[in-house]
Amino acid sequence: MINRGKDLYDELRSRVDKLKEEGSPEKKYWDVWKLGCVLKARQHDVRKLYNDTSREFVEKYREQLIDMKEHVLENIDSYVEQTIRVMRETNNFKVYYADTNEDAQKFFMEELGDSKVIYKSKSNEAKDIGIIDILRKNEITIKETDLGDVLVQLFDYKLPSFQIGPGAHFLIEDIVARIKEVHGVEIKPKPSAIVDFYRRTYRKELLNEVKISLTSANAISAEEGTIVLGENEGNISLLTRATEKHIVVCGISKIVPTILDAVLVAKTQTRINNVPFAYINLISRPSCTSDIRGINVLGMYGAKEVVVILVDDWRKSALNKNIIYRDFLRCINCGSCNYICTASRAFGNIFASKYGWGPTAIIRDYIHNGVESAVKDGLFLCTGCENCFHWCPVSINLGEIMKSIKKEATKAGLCPPLLKKYQKKILNDKNPF
Amino acid sequence: MTKLIFQGCLSAKHYESTCKNAVKIIHLLDSEYQVIENPPCCGSLSFNMTSDEIMKKHVEFVNNWFIANNVSELVTICAGCYSYFSRYYKEFLGTEFKIKVQHLLQFIAKPEHLKKLNLKINGKNLKVNYHDACHLRNPSNPIIEEPRIILNSIENVELIEMEFNRKNSLCCGAGGGTYSIFKENSDHSAKSIFDNMRKGKILLTACPFCYTALRRIKEINRITKPVIKFEDFLVNIMEGKEVFDDQ
Repeated sequence: MINRGKDLYDELRSRVDKLKEEGSPEKKYWDVWKLGCVLKARQHDVRKLYNDTSREFVEKYREQLIDMKEHVLENIDSYVEQTIRVMRETNNFKVYYADTNEDAQKFFMEELGDSKVIYKSKSNEAKDIGIIDILRKNEITIKETDLGDVLVQLFDYKLPSFQIGPGAHFLIEDIVARIKEVHGVEIKPKPSAIVDFYRRTYRKELLNEVKISLTSANAISAEEGTIVLGENEGNISLLTRATEKHIVVCGISKIVPTILDAVLVAKTQTRINNVPFAYINLISRPSCTSDIRGINVLGMYGAKEVVVILVDDWRKSALNKNIIYRDFLRCINCGSCNYICTASRAFGNIFASKYGWGPTAIIRDYIHNGVESAVKDGLFLCTGCENCFHWCPVSINLGEIMKSIKKEATKAGLCPPLLKKYQKKILNDKNPF
Repeated sequence: MTKLIFQGCLSAKHYESTCKNAVKIIHLLDSEYQVIENPPCCGSLSFNMTSDEIMKKHVEFVNNWFIANNVSELVTICAGCYSYFSRYYKEFLGTEFKIKVQHLLQFIAKPEHLKKLNLKINGKNLKVNYHDACHLRNPSNPIIEEPRIILNSIENVELIEMEFNRKNSLCCGAGGGTYSIFKENSDHSAKSIFDNMRKGKILLTACPFCYTALRRIKEINRITKPVIKFEDFLVNIMEGKEVFDDQ
C-alpha cells in the first residue's frame, strides 16, 4: 500500500516537473493563469463598474445567500416537488427527475433520439452528471459554442482548462495558424479578426442548424419554474432560441426558492468574476404564440420544446448522511476559490480533474471516482490555507473537506511517503524532526 | 501551577535565536513563564493525515503531558501550535482541555505589556509590512488585530497593509506538509507575498512556516527587502540594534 502512495507521488511529481519545461502545455497554461489570477484577484477592488467592490458585495449578501441555500437544502424534497410541478403544469416543460447520473444519461440519450450532433454551452454540470462521457461513448458530435471551448476543440486540448475563460491560454498567433490549418482561412492575428471569423461562419450555423441544444442553469427558481442562464457571448441566447429542443441538465442543488434568489446567485457570479453578464436569460416556457384566435401554440420562433433533467445522484445522500462534502451543495460555481487557491495559483491545470480544475473539481472527482482519483488530481498539493473558505460567498470550507479526503487517502495508503514518515515520527517520537 | 512557553518543534529545531528572543520578551513581561525540555509536538503536521481516533490519542498524550507538568496556561511562539491548540484540541477533548492558550502576539498586545515594553525606534519613520499567516487568521479566535496593535504602538513605525491582508491574506504555500514534498507551491506563493508588499521596507511574519518559505524565496530571487520574525524585530528594537537584521 505504501508503494501505491509512492507511485502516485512520483506520477504527480513528473506532472509538476512539466511546469519547468519551456513550451510544455502545462507551462504555457500556467504562464497565462498566473497573470490571470493575479488580475482577477485584484479586480475585487476595481470600482469602475460598481459602487462597491466585489468583496463588499459578497460580505453584504453572504448571510442571505447561505440562509437561502441552507433553507432549500433543509427542504429539498418540497422544493424539488414544487419545481417539477410548476415546470410541468404551468410552464409546459418536459421534466425528468433522475435519481442517478446513469438515469440522467439514459433520459438524455432518449431525448437526443436519432440526432448525431449536439450544440452546447459550457455546462460544468453536464460533466458532473456524465453527459459528456456518454455523448463521447455514443460518438455523438459535440459542438461547443462558447468561444473559449470552441478554441479548446480547435486545438484538441486535452488538459483541464479554466471554466470561465477556457481558451485564454492560447496565443493569438497559434489560434490564427490553427484556423488556417483546420479551416483553410487566413485571418489577421487580432482578437477582433478571430471573433469576426466565428461571427461570420459559426453564427450562421447556430442560427440555422441547431436541432438540439444542451445547457445547464446558473440557478432554477422553484416558485416560477424558471431557468436562469447568464452569458456574455450570446451563444446561450441562440442555443435556447434558435433550436428545436433545448435540454437543460443540472443537479437539484441549483434550485432556489424564487426568481429573485436566482438573480442574486447570477449577480454574485458576475461580481466575483467582475464580468457583468451581457445577458441574463430567464426561461419560463417554450416559445409560444396566442395570436391566432387566442389559441396557444408552442414553438413560434424559439425552442419548441424545453426538457429539464433534474439530477440527484450524490446530492441527497450527502445531505441526509451528512457526508464530509455536504456543504459543497451550497456551491454556486462562481469560481472564487480558483482565483485565490494557493495550489491553483502555483500549479495551474495540474491541480485539476476531468471536471475542471481547482479544489471543487477535485472534490467532484472524489465524489464520483473515489479517493485515489483525488490523489492523482493533486489532493496533497492543497496547503489547507482556507483561502477558499474566506473568499467563498457561501462560506464553504473546501479546505476542511480536502483535509478529510487527505485523511481518507492516508488511511488507504495513498499518502506521499515523506508525509507518512513525518506522521509516524510525530505519533511515535512526539517530534517530527 | 506552571506557565509554559511552548516553542514549537520547527522553531526549536531551526530558529534557536528566535526562540531565545521570544523567551526574552515573555520573561521581561512575566518572569513566571518557563520553558520545559522536550515537550511533545502539538501534532499539527500530522492532523491532515491521521484518522480522528489515532489523532485523539496523540492529543490526549499531549494533554496528559501538560497535566503531568502542572501546566495551567501557555504562550506559543509557533503560529501552527496556536492554530491547532486553539482550534482542534477543544474539539477532541472538550472540557478536558483546560489550558489557557495564547499566542505570543496576543500576550504582547495587552495594554499593560505594551506600556511596559514602551517600544520606539530612533530616527526616521520606518514603513513595515506584516503578513497575516493562515495559522493565525484561521482559528476561531484569530490573531489579526494584535500584531497591528503592537506595531501601531511603536514610535516611528508605520504599518503598511499588504494588498491582501487579514482574512484575505495570501498563503505562503508551505502549509499542509506541501513544503516537504512540493516546494514549487511556495516558489510561487511566497514570491507573491513579496510582490504584495507595496511600500513596506521590511516584511514581518509571526509564523515559522511562512518565515522558512519566505527566506528561501528571498534568497532564490535575490529579493533585497528583509523578512524578519516578529519577535526578532521587537528584540532588535528593544536592544537598539539595526531593525533590518534578519538571522
